[in-house]
Amino acid sequence: MPAIELENLTRVFASGVTAVDRLTLDVDDGEFVVLVGPSGCGKTTALRMIAGLEKITAGTVSIGGQVVNDVSPRRRDVAMVFQNYALYPHLSVYDNLGFALENAGVPKAERDRRIRAAAAALGLSELLRRRPRQLSGGQRQRVAMGRAIVREPRVFLMDEPLSNLDAKLRVLMRGEVLRVHRSIGAATVYVTHDQVEAMTMGDRIALLNGGALQQFGPPAELYARPVNQFVARFIGSPEMNLFEAALDADGALALGSQRIDLTRRPVPGQGTPGQAVPGKQAPRRGEPVIVGIRPEDLALGAPGAPGTLTAEVRAVEQLGSELHAFFSIDARQAGDQTGGASDADQDAALPGQAHNGVARLDPRSGIRPGGRVTFLVDPARLYFFDPATGEATGWPAAPAQAPQAPQATQQASAGAGRTRSG
Amino acid sequence: MTVTTVSPPPPPESRRQRRRRERLAARDSEIPVELYGLPRGTVGLLTTLAFGFALFTLIPIGWILINSTKTQANIFETFGFWFASPFEFFHTFGLLFQNVDGYGTFIQWFGNTALYAVLGGGGATILAALAGYALARFRFRGSRFVFYTIIAALLVPITALSIPLYLTYAKAHLINSIWGMVLPSMISPIGVYLMRTYADISVPRELLDAARIDGAGELRIFFRVALPLMVPGLLTVLLINIVAVWNNYFLPLLIFNINTKYPLTVGLGLWSTRAVNSGDANLYPMLVMGGLVTIIPLIALFLILQRYWRGGMLLGSIAN
Amino acid sequence: MRSSWIHRRDRRGVWFVAPFLLGFLLFMLVPLGYAIYTSLYTYRIIGGTSFTGASNYTATLQNGLFWNGVVRVIIFAAIQIPVMLVIAFFFACVFDLGVAKYGTFFRTVFFIPFAVPAVVGAVMWSFLLEPQFGPFTRLASVLGFSNTNFFGPNLMLASIIVIVIWEWTGYNMMILYTALKSVPRDVVEAAILDDTPLWKIIVRIKLPLVRPAVVMLVFLNTVGALQLFTEPQILEYFQQGAISVNYTPSYYIYQTAIAADETNLAAAMAVILAVVIVVISALSLIVRRRRGEFA
Repeated sequence: MPAIELENLTRVFASGVTAVDRLTLDVDDGEFVVLVGPSGCGKTTALRMIAGLEKITAGTVSIGGQVVNDVSPRRRDVAMVFQNYALYPHLSVYDNLGFALENAGVPKAERDRRIRAAAAALGLSELLRRRPRQLSGGQRQRVAMGRAIVREPRVFLMDEPLSNLDAKLRVLMRGEVLRVHRSIGAATVYVTHDQVEAMTMGDRIALLNGGALQQFGPPAELYARPVNQFVARFIGSPEMNLFEAALDADGALALGSQRIDLTRRPVPGQGTPGQAVPGKQAPRRGEPVIVGIRPEDLALGAPGAPGTLTAEVRAVEQLGSELHAFFSIDARQAGDQTGGASDADQDAALPGQAHNGVARLDPRSGIRPGGRVTFLVDPARLYFFDPATGEATGWPAAPAQAPQAPQATQQASAGAGRTRSG
Repeated sequence: MTVTTVSPPPPPESRRQRRRRERLAARDSEIPVELYGLPRGTVGLLTTLAFGFALFTLIPIGWILINSTKTQANIFETFGFWFASPFEFFHTFGLLFQNVDGYGTFIQWFGNTALYAVLGGGGATILAALAGYALARFRFRGSRFVFYTIIAALLVPITALSIPLYLTYAKAHLINSIWGMVLPSMISPIGVYLMRTYADISVPRELLDAARIDGAGELRIFFRVALPLMVPGLLTVLLINIVAVWNNYFLPLLIFNINTKYPLTVGLGLWSTRAVNSGDANLYPMLVMGGLVTIIPLIALFLILQRYWRGGMLLGSIAN
Repeated sequence: MRSSWIHRRDRRGVWFVAPFLLGFLLFMLVPLGYAIYTSLYTYRIIGGTSFTGASNYTATLQNGLFWNGVVRVIIFAAIQIPVMLVIAFFFACVFDLGVAKYGTFFRTVFFIPFAVPAVVGAVMWSFLLEPQFGPFTRLASVLGFSNTNFFGPNLMLASIIVIVIWEWTGYNMMILYTALKSVPRDVVEAAILDDTPLWKIIVRIKLPLVRPAVVMLVFLNTVGALQLFTEPQILEYFQQGAISVNYTPSYYIYQTAIAADETNLAAAMAVILAVVIVVISALSLIVRRRRGEFA
């Protein structure tokens, strides 16, 4: 029985906005699940519904197998770390840590033991007499965590606890959070907007957008088998290059004026990139398709060699550890399928933006802006998406299988029209 | 499973629907009452208590409303909270425009009060805005000292100040001068304090520096850049000062001794003492009516303005 | 080392405060100075005004009537202010938590007396409490308390307390309400998750955070209460003899200055009263300093 179960959890505000739309997922005992997504995607609202701080419009929250919709947050045995820490401003660190235990009537000796244990685990033992305003941001964050730990709850909820820390501290604290999680062993739901945190910390990731769950699974799966364009874009930095393309009559990929032969396919069942969810309709010959290739999957190749892509280099960012080459090809960049424009998307519409792709290369590549570059494209590392729905599709039929595929697709299209349902 | 949702634009709605939605949205943004764990019926009990205090608050106002329609005899003899015949409202109201028994004309007092309040309150707001802005955004020698002096000035009791003012005016022949009333009213230490706090919050230093680099003079910067940003604070300080001058009793009592210069407060006080002693049966009704007319404008002002002035700024900075 | 441009710019700030400071000088400092000067003289019908030094002060300090009045306003403040603040804080909490209905309506209603001048408030209540014809007097006799004289020596101070509470509770409540509203929401949510009972949320989380507002209100109310004048004076008009000439210090000073025309003595009394008020109200601020500021 999972520790937390959300079933069709929905929250509609009085203003008419649907913040969370039929969210269904589960968290096992001891598991660390990350809710991630852009601002406004509903992740914090969902977390607060688990805590009981937000009214539930529809659906259920279950903790330990029991539906808790009507159970007060006081009784749910959940502890929460707030984004702004929400420490009691005029109580000392010691009293902050012990406040919940006081309320529960825990005897003084036991209280003291638990407070000191949590303080020791978080390096706060020297600070017990201080007040929150005398602490640094990182220290306050640890007190917030300590306050949750002493309660020894069934469920841990964390609302972007690291986003108010500076970059270096954040990296440090990631490990701390996980260490604490493992030593406590309670089910944890962690909210963040940072996909790096999600990928590095989560046992499973739930990616939300506009209130709806996009994909729920282990980080590797969201990276290797994104179910739609949004997931493909969100995971990975720099984000995946997505282009409007088409399959030509021979089954090769027509990308702008260039062609990529797709004979070398990923081996089925081996989880190689580009293998979409089984059962998806494969894109058909002669049809438009959205193709994605991650910047890290582009390597330098010899010009004119088969399976290569030639591009014009517009700009270069030299990071020392790697080189980002901003290039353009004569294919169109794929638009955002999700309907909501994030800040980055709006910036992408800036005039003078000449590049439509990024590649991550060895820092000694010697690439210069204004030159031409040839990339070696491993077709096994391509991702395909339906231009109409944005969903990932199956791998296009190999040329060898050409006779069968058209029949199958023709039957399907005769039966179900052009709809490709998920 | 992977459904993307785009919320549809809200449908056009009537004003009532909008207000209902705003009310629900406000409730959404507050902690739900259920989370406080209160026993059943607490909300009902508390609402009843609030209603009781509201009754207490409104009883005098209700009384004055009802009894402004009565004759003197009826004021004292009939049930206080219901009407009686004859209905004398308009007759009594008319008397406010006359100088009854030489005790003064109400409508003139009303004009005086309005004049003093607008001049005094307006002047106080301007002076406070200038001083508050300077204290917040300029670091000149002695600015700290000035600020502490102003805080200290808050300590000085008004009554203790009025006698000295009276004495000074007597010496300077400023008794019965309008300026004797208006000018001291323009000195509002609390106004300076509030405007300083507000300027600190709402006028970014960088904006001023940018204007200076663009070549604007300080006065121009104040009027074109800073002042527009301080408008809510200005309105609050204006309101406070108008109310303070309107309600002021002790100072005008001392410095005016001809009743044509009286503000409403002093005039009504005069009628109070005369009503008891004189035989004129009009005075008590006029006193009641005068009280009613005095409070209506300010109450109306509050009710109208409460949409714009949630009191947050004023009360927030006092609370800080 | 600041550049001279900044120096010059900052000095211009002086011009902005100048109008206020000028008025402050003319209408606060000069009169105070003149009052002190006047208090050092005495006018006698024979001989005119002559310098008498501290004699007005010693006379006042030895004047039992004056100090009776001071004691009376202190008692008045000691009762009126706590009662009013308790009511104001109670309702401020209720509306802040949203545990009563029609909160916006009630808050507006409670604030109305702020728009009513003290004179009018006193007049209204004088009618209501009038010992022979007032509705409340009649109500009292219906309830079995015949011969209640709200203006008699037993109940006069209580009546004034009720009037002043009526006038000021709404204002105090609004200030406390605003202060309560500024308590961060997530701190209260954290307390709820910690299963804190409501009384504890109010007393141990909200109240300490609004302490600065409470202190400020105690201070403002004290300064106001010690200068009590308008209400007793109006009540005196309605019931002659109910108020003794020394009922409150401000009233006594007024009578001395206007009725008895002893302006020099009145000046001395005013100065002493100012000192007393400054001392008492400064005490409340020192208490605040000692307990420390809260985050």
